[in-house]
Formats: sequence, structure tokens, C-alpha cells
Amino acid sequence: MDIDPQMTERISLLFKEKGVLIENDKIESKLKLLTTDFGIAPEEAEKMVTNELLREHGLNGPSQQSYSSSSQQKIPISGASPGDWVTVEGKIVSLSSPQSEAIAQSGILSDESGAIRFIVWAKSNAPTLEERKWYRFESATVDEYRGAPSMKIHSGTTVSPVDEEKTFMPSPVQISELKPGVSTVRAKVVQDWEPRHERMFQSGLLGDESGTIRFVTWKEDSNVRLEAGKVYNIYYTGVDEFQGRLSLNLTGAMILEDEGAVIEVASGNMKISGAFVHMGGGTGLIKRCKVEGCNRALSRQNYCPVHEIQNDFRYDLRITGVVDDGQKASNVLIQREEAEKLTGITLDSAIEMAENNPLGFDDVTMKMQETLIGRYVECQGSDIDGTLLVKGCSPLSYDSSRHAELINRASVSPEGGVQE
Amino acid sequence: MSKGGFSRPTGSFVREPAKRIFAAELRESRLQFRDGDDEKSPSFILLPTGERCNRIFICGEVTQKEKRGDQNTFYTARLRDPSGIFFLNAGSYQQEAMQQMAKINQGDFAAVVGKPGIRETPDGSIFVTVRVETITTVDRDTYLTWTNDTATQTLDRLESFGSTDDSKKASEFYNTSIEHYRRIVYESLVAADI
Repeated sequence: MDIDPQMTERISLLFKEKGVLIENDKIESKLKLLTTDFGIAPEEAEKMVTNELLREHGLNGPSQQSYSSSSQQKIPISGASPGDWVTVEGKIVSLSSPQSEAIAQSGILSDESGAIRFIVWAKSNAPTLEERKWYRFESATVDEYRGAPSMKIHSGTTVSPVDEEKTFMPSPVQISELKPGVSTVRAKVVQDWEPRHERMFQSGLLGDESGTIRFVTWKEDSNVRLEAGKVYNIYYTGVDEFQGRLSLNLTGAMILEDEGAVIEVASGNMKISGAFVHMGGGTGLIKRCKVEGCNRALSRQNYCPVHEIQNDFRYDLRITGVVDDGQKASNVLIQREEAEKLTGITLDSAIEMAENNPLGFDDVTMKMQETLIGRYVECQGSDIDGTLLVKGCSPLSYDSSRHAELINRASVSPEGGVQE
Repeated sequence: MSKGGFSRPTGSFVREPAKRIFAAELRESRLQFRDGDDEKSPSFILLPTGERCNRIFICGEVTQKEKRGDQNTFYTARLRDPSGIFFLNAGSYQQEAMQQMAKINQGDFAAVVGKPGIRETPDGSIFVTVRVETITTVDRDTYLTWTNDTATQTLDRLESFGSTDDSKKASEFYNTSIEHYRRIVYESLVAADI
């Protein structure tokens, strides 16, 4: 592992300020020993080498204090970032059962600024924390777990109960502003989806004025079911990141209905135009499950992922694909009505093709490919979790005035350009 | 890694956009590189106008189409845009592209989404081919719209040339003449309208 030269430089500077010159090579070899041979994290190694050198030069008195004082200054929880040594005060807002024997306790700590997940290592000998009580944590470390900051209480952390109790209400964060970690949101249930997994209690889509986000609640004793259309204050929900997308994990969160409240959920109304460059697998004539509230697409063999074989189904048309403007490729989902308009293939004619011809289903899909791929279209609709749910889509036709403008633009050499 | 910054997980998949490019520019592209050390890291071509591309969207008239090979059949075709010729191929590893290629006729206007690659012939000359992902017959209107689109995006690239990392690299590698590519755009626009 290579040593970050900035780290060496930082240490060297620190000593230069104190009037001591230390060769970079020496610092580097010490760092290397710790990180490479002992597998110590670079930040930790930096601290250790600094302290060692301070001792060596008899500087560990007041200067040592000044170095570590930063970690004893109390900071707001929202300011804790991975890589920091922190001192924070906060309230234990929830405790969850530890997932490993190495962990004594785990839960969420909050102050008025925000909340963070924490773990108390079994080896830390820290006192047992109680829910809803306030504590001060001195010299805890913060690292990153699945993209979210997580605080670790280790043997070097001083934990002390705090008497003065402050009351605070965590303020909700706009959905578009969410970051991985723990947050509070005020949102409306836009969609309620059937759970895809037996351990799943509920899943769906939440929205506020700024956007929408998926949510999931895993089964446990104290599950609260959200109702579609209602607004909820959700305190201390987990915000997870998977493949660059955020979702809320409401398991264990405190959920209160905001009765009678109305939220105008951002429709995420978006317009994109570009070339239709790709058609996805779910394109064409499909069969849907007729079980009340299901409506899932069936496989060719009429199999519904939840309700098994459904020989009584209803037909539908849809197009999944990618519209590409040359800078960004956007997934689009086009429902029956717009798909019919765009391709000129109606549901009835598609059914006729499918029922009178063994390759009918493929024919429908192929016809759609032939009429759509490589064409310029303009789509508008709402962005749901990275896919544009198309409400209107029309082919773009050739614009000759644009052509004339471009000839003008191309005929003047750019002034002050990089021309050679 | 910077403090407090949340890095994207490496597994997240973002489809590469299809860059718009005239044949005359693609023909002059020479630098191909991989972004990352992984076997599956995407391969890019650095365009002389200063952007990397892994996928392109092109339009033109099919001037020649040929089925080749006995057991491993593949198609080659030429696609003429207002600035020059694209060399297309579709092999048996792209069943769908091959079937689409079979339906295309010489003289048709076609739109192609594909991956560009730089090849060296046995006699040492270098040329750029396009491995077809999809090819469809389109009308003249689409071809003209594509010409506008490609002209716009090429001019955009030229106007930001020198201010992005990729264009600085391109300048170093190709010693790009802005004027040369501006003229290609101009001539393509004029030629397309006839």
C-alpha cells in the first residue's frame, strides 16, 4: 500500500511549526510499517506516528493536547463524517438487536442536528445504554458502513450519562436532499406495492414536494402499515444506498400519521427528447394477472410471481426502452395508450396477431422495434426511481429552420476559440 | 477519499450514451482505451473533437451489404452519411443485429446503434469499424434530423474544446484543428440538404 504523500507532508508541517525538522523518509517509513505490516488504517496510522514523534521530541505536553483537543470539542451529530474522531452528545432514540457477538449494542443516536447509527463493541466495556436517555460520547470513531456514516464506541471512548434533557423535534429532510444514513421525512404514500419477499412487510413509493423514493419495511413485531394517499411523519428511518439509488428502510422507525395533511407530491415532470436506441425485454403484448390488486405481468406460460399459474388473464401493451440524447441514456416505460399511438399497433390488432400466429407475440415486438428504434422522439412524464413513466410521447419531425440556424452557426469560426 | 464524501458503489450500472458523430470524424479516430483495469471495464474511443465514446448513434444510406463466411456468417455493410462512410459489421454473436441486418436493403436509409472499434488490417493500415447493436430502416426525415443533431453535438464539442480533461487529451494526441472539424460540420449540413 502506498503512503499518501499528503499525509507525510501534514505530519512534517506540524513539526516544522514547532521548530522540529523531521525527514519525510523517516515519517514515510513509520507510516509504511504501520499500514503495510500491521494493516492499520491510514488515518489511524497518521495519529499514531504523530503521537510517537511528539513523544520522541518531548513535545507531548501542551501540544499533544492541542492536537487532540479537536476530538474533545463536542460537535453536532450531523457534522460527523467517516474518518472523524468525534465527541457528541445525544439521545438514544432506538436500540436494535446486535447482529454479531462482537457487538454489545446497536441503535440510533440523535440530537437536534441529526441522527447517526452507532455500534458499541462488546470489547469496549462501555456502560449499557438505555433508550430515550442522553449520553456524552468522547472520542468515538466514525466510519462508513454501506455508504452511510456509522459511529463506533470502542474501548477508548468515554461514555457518560448526561442529566440535562433537551426536548427537540427532528426536522424533516426533503426527499431530494436525503443522504445515506438516518433521517426524518414527512411524506405521502404514493404507491403501495405488494411485498416481493416473505420477510417483507410492506413496500412502495413515498413522495414529498421535492421528489419520490422507494420504501421497504421488513417484518418485525411492531410493524406499522402505511396507507396509500396518507401523509406520515417518519422519524429516524434508515436511508440506504444500493447501486447508486437511495431507498428508505422504515423498519424500526417511529411513524406518526399527519392526519388531514395534504402534500403535493412532485410529479417529477420531465421532458426528454432523443433517439430511441434500445428496446427492453418487456416490450410488446403482455399478459397481466387478473387477481384483484395484482396486475403483474405473467410469463409466457401464464405464471405470476405471486399467484402462480393464471390461465385467466388480461392482455396489455407496453414498451420499455431507452431514449438517448447523446449525453444521457434514459429508461422509459410507455403504457398502452401512448404505445398504440406511437407504433400504430392497437391492442386489438396485437391480440389478433398473437392468437392467429405461433410467433405472434414476437411479431408484435418486432413490429414495434421496426417502427421505433432509431427514431427521434420526445417523451414527457414522471420520473419514478430512474425510469420515465411516459404520459405523452410523440415522434420528432425534421426542423428545417434548425438546419438553417446550424449552417449559420457552423459557418463562422468561433471567435477567440482554440483555433490553430 | 475525501471526508464525508459518499462514493458511488462500483457496481452501479449506467448505460453509456450513444454519441453523435460524423463518419469523417470517426474515420480519423485512433486512440482506444479502457476505463479501468477490469476485464469488463468499458472500452472507449477518444474522439478528435474531445469526447470519449463507447457507443454511437449514426444514420445514413446503406451503400453496400454483404453476407460473408460459411459457418460463422457475418454481415458487413457500408453506411454513407453526408461526410463519408461508416464500416458496419454484425457477427453471429449478435443474433438480433444479424437478423436486422438481413432485412436491410441497399439504398435504404438506416439508423444504427453500435460500438466503434479501431482495427488494424494485416497490411498495417488502420480503420474504424462499427459493431452493430441495432439497425433499422428509417425515413429521410430521420436522417436529416440526425444530421442536425450530429452537427449540433459536434459543434458543442468544438466549443468546449480545451476546457475538459478529455479534450485536453485529444488536443495532445490528435493536435486537433478546430477549423477542420467545423468545416466537416458545415459541409455535412450543406450536403445533407440536397
